[in-house]
Amino acid sequence: MQENYLAKWLSGELSGEELREFENSEEFASYQKLKDVSSKLMAPDFDSEKALMRLKDEHIANAPKVISLNPFKKFLRVAAVIAVLLTGSYFYINTLNEKVSTEFAERSEVVLPDDSEIFLNADSQISYSEKKWDKNRNIDLKGEAFFKVAKGKKFTVSTDHGTVAVLGTQFNVENREGFFEVTCYEGLVSVTHKNEEIKLPAGNSFLVINGKLISTGTPSGTLPSWMNNESSFESIPLKYVFAELERQFNVKVSTENIDTNLLFTGSFNNTDLNMALKSISTPSKTHFTIDGDNVLFYAGNTQQ
Amino acid sequence: MSNVCEDHVFSKVFKTHSKTVFNYIFYKFGNEEKAHDAVQEAFVKLWQNCAKVSPEKAKSYVYTVANNLYLNVIKAEKVRLKHADRHVKDRTNESPEFLMEEKEYKDKLDNALNALPENQRTTFLLNRIDGKKYAEIAEMEGVSVKAIEKRMHLALKSLREHIDGI
Repeated sequence: MQENYLAKWLSGELSGEELREFENSEEFASYQKLKDVSSKLMAPDFDSEKALMRLKDEHIANAPKVISLNPFKKFLRVAAVIAVLLTGSYFYINTLNEKVSTEFAERSEVVLPDDSEIFLNADSQISYSEKKWDKNRNIDLKGEAFFKVAKGKKFTVSTDHGTVAVLGTQFNVENREGFFEVTCYEGLVSVTHKNEEIKLPAGNSFLVINGKLISTGTPSGTLPSWMNNESSFESIPLKYVFAELERQFNVKVSTENIDTNLLFTGSFNNTDLNMALKSISTPSKTHFTIDGDNVLFYAGNTQQ
Repeated sequence: MSNVCEDHVFSKVFKTHSKTVFNYIFYKFGNEEKAHDAVQEAFVKLWQNCAKVSPEKAKSYVYTVANNLYLNVIKAEKVRLKHADRHVKDRTNESPEFLMEEKEYKDKLDNALNALPENQRTTFLLNRIDGKKYAEIAEMEGVSVKAIEKRMHLALKSLREHIDGI
């Protein structure tokens, strides 16, 4: 008998001889009965119409299929664009820096996320990233500000004249056109100017006017004078003094027959314009007149 | 070219094969509810992938999906089959002993079927109830025709032994 002859018999594939041999075997009757009875077995009822209805109702009707998919796809496209724009602007806004600025005759105080303090003098601006502050303590400065830096990681002040890096200290940075001064009041400040790094210990100043390094005397006090409403100068060209005056009082200074490169040593009060003008005119031997917001300085008796 | 995505093609495929899918899963696990679910799942999958499955491949696709659905997931239950009493009408004068014997035999057959390994039972019933040729069963199960013949042979042998009490 060949292999799997029972299967062959059931499918009618036995040869005549094999079939006769099998039919004569004693177990044949049992198999024949099994064949007969099993052919009458029935599986549970299954209504394919009903199943198809169920399939269409439950799954296909709600399924995103070809026709119904199209408007949905359009909607998806629009939704995707909106989502991209939203996330994009979210990240853009997040990367935008915090900005604080002061106008002429204005002061401001900023407390940074790490409790460092910045005092902004008139016509100055700082910007920094609040989100990244923990990782990167960096301030962009235009104008003048006094910094009380909380101890911590490196803190840098970037200006267009150079950068000032500290760990924790108090210092003043003045970054005006053609004028860059850093004064350290506490701790140690590192100033990088034209790729050169200068260490500035407490009680020292670093001054560059028009690209020229100027040696300065020791600053007095523990705060820049402007913090006490006084602008003081030591051998500073008059034009910077006038510029400071303009900033502090929001006035327009013009000069007549005055060499504004003459050095000025002295100070003026930031609250009283008349007193301030006298403070400048007396040591510089000049005269002044006020006309509204305009101040004219003139030399000697040349004023007509 | 006809496409399974077309409603009438899909409906035709469904009507042709859903019953076998249902039986196939039922023979394996003996659970009617699961067999109904398997039909739904298999044809939903076919519908979702209608663009990728040609009408010729649709048949083996639904069997494969249905088969994979419960792979190692559910425990087989007793397969309860109905016995068609086709001869009752034309042989009305059967003795009570004969009917008793018939009933006994059917119970034995049921037990014997449930005692079979799942793949032998499925093969046997697909052939006996659904009239599937060995080649078709081989395609559904993804094995050779020879393997199906072997299963069939062993199934018949075990059933007879079980019924005859050998």
